[in-house]
Amino acid sequence: MAKDFSDFDDDSPDDLGGDTLAFAARPVRIPLIIAALAAVVGAVLAATSTADFVAHLDRQVHDIHCSVMPGAEAVRGESGCRTVMLSPYSSWFRASYWGGVPVALFALAVFAFLAYRAGHLAARGKPTRAEAGFLLAGMGLPVLMSSIFGYLAAAKVGATCTVCVGMYVSSGVGFAAALAAFFMVTPTGQPDTKAVQGFVVSFVEGCAFVGVLFLAYLLFVPQVEAKAGRGPAGCGTLVEAGDASGILIDLAIRPGAAPSIELLDPLCPACRAFDERLAASGLAERLSQQAVLFPLDATCNWMVKSSLHPGACAVTEAMLCDRAAAPKILAWAFTHQEALTELGRKDEAGLRSKITQEFPGVGACLGSPQAKNAVVRSLRWAVANALPVLTPQLFVQGRRVCDEDTDLGLEYTLAHMLEGHK
Amino acid sequence: MNPIALRALLGAPALVVPTLMVASWLGSANTRLQAADPTAAENEVAIASVAEDAYCTPKLKSIVRRVAGACGLLGGAGRGCQPMEAQQVAQLSDEDFNALFRPLAQRAHIIQYDADATDLDAAGRTAVEKAWADQRGASFFFVVARASPDGKTEHNEALSAGRANSVLDHLVDKFKDPEIKKQVGLLWLGESFAQLGEEFCGWDRSHQDTACTAKEINRSAFVAWIDCAI
Repeated sequence: MAKDFSDFDDDSPDDLGGDTLAFAARPVRIPLIIAALAAVVGAVLAATSTADFVAHLDRQVHDIHCSVMPGAEAVRGESGCRTVMLSPYSSWFRASYWGGVPVALFALAVFAFLAYRAGHLAARGKPTRAEAGFLLAGMGLPVLMSSIFGYLAAAKVGATCTVCVGMYVSSGVGFAAALAAFFMVTPTGQPDTKAVQGFVVSFVEGCAFVGVLFLAYLLFVPQVEAKAGRGPAGCGTLVEAGDASGILIDLAIRPGAAPSIELLDPLCPACRAFDERLAASGLAERLSQQAVLFPLDATCNWMVKSSLHPGACAVTEAMLCDRAAAPKILAWAFTHQEALTELGRKDEAGLRSKITQEFPGVGACLGSPQAKNAVVRSLRWAVANALPVLTPQLFVQGRRVCDEDTDLGLEYTLAHMLEGHK
Repeated sequence: MNPIALRALLGAPALVVPTLMVASWLGSANTRLQAADPTAAENEVAIASVAEDAYCTPKLKSIVRRVAGACGLLGGAGRGCQPMEAQQVAQLSDEDFNALFRPLAQRAHIIQYDADATDLDAAGRTAVEKAWADQRGASFFFVVARASPDGKTEHNEALSAGRANSVLDHLVDKFKDPEIKKQVGLLWLGESFAQLGEEFCGWDRSHQDTACTAKEINRSAFVAWIDCAI
């Protein structure tokens, strides 16, 4: 039987050691090659993801690769990959480094190491049970991480990254191949005296791969000098931070926390995403949060030529009409943002009636001259402070968080801005 | 092949290639970051500002500024202008003065009063609130009150002053906006200056369902936001 496979292996059955079955040793190269290829594919995808992430460290907007097809073009607009990349789960050490260290970098290190290990075993063609076991354990790591990050993407982020899915699949294929290789290497029946030593050496090698890439990242990660108009120094200050017109909305007042004002539009997807990022960062707990409403809807906002978010004026009126319920109205608007925007585009009266139905407290105020006047006063707060016509904007203790720092660099910038405030 | 050499032959590129790639990407990002002008993107974004409508010609703005300044608006006092003052600071004939407001046909409301009355009726109050709520990006709310030529000139001047003030009082009472007095400019013209012609009967007026002659249209306060950055 063993002779049937001799053509597939350069190693003579004699080289396999007396206790290793020739039958199992020869075809074990096939799953090892598959495992190595799967790890190479995983490494390529992890490298793609790392490159996309690193490109954004220049604080600009870049295209993102969101396809597992080789040569597929990167895309600029919204995509699952962009959503996942901007989520707080895409990198670690975010408060210490601008953007943090991408998880994809660790994936790249692990896949590169596993490609090397599987490739080495396939080239040598004589894996011991311990070596195959280590490879299996190593392949289990990306499977475990794939499960965790797959869950986070589905349950927390609500978006799927195609490149990440490619890595999940590579992990699964690699693990299955390593499992097959492991079972194809039959135990010798005698203690492997070098098993522990080999395991330790491989483990150290694996750690070296991760450590070297991590250190290289920390060594070369872009840094900017802290000065006005950049980073934690902020991009300008509020000229008139007061609330003479009574339009500030209390979102979450926390005594002793740093006062913050967010300029937002309740139907703005970027504001919702920003709100989610801020909540996920854990830094919102250190802010006493107020908001100024700035609907980018031409029906009430003379500063925009066309309505970017139709219906935002109506929702804004509702929040200013029932200020106690404003945080609830905002949460509701964020949850049903697409549907409300669509309704606002087609039938604003219908949107107003839906708001009244959901929040009876706004009652007769919605649509009244007082409500419209309150919206104008809210908009004029931005005029008095000569703010850019865009949302969201965050002011911490009167200092404006630069736009470039509101996504990947949010935790780093906020953590540094809050350093002086205990 | 020597097992260690084989291991090194396969392991070294597996480690070095990704490391060099990552270092290269980071270096490029750093170069772009240091070269970028952080204010460039922000300079392309519009800054929130008050409205500046197409009808805001330099001449109109100059006159509005002169009237607003002389009548106390720019100082925030909002004391209002009397007929002679208005005529003097505007330096315009009656017809030219009224012509200034013609571009506001879609923006202005004419609040009408009963004969010899200064109180706002229900329709008048609603019209004033509607006009005020439609501020948008405008900076000044002009209230130009008049009286019909019936009766004595002094009495008509007092009537128009009362009408202008009734609008301001209602706004203060209804909206409780601390900024109101900095934004509302009152001009009371009595019967002496810039009487409205019957063509203004076609404008948005509070007594829409009643007959409109030159007398009725001048028993009024003409209210409008001026969409000019003064």
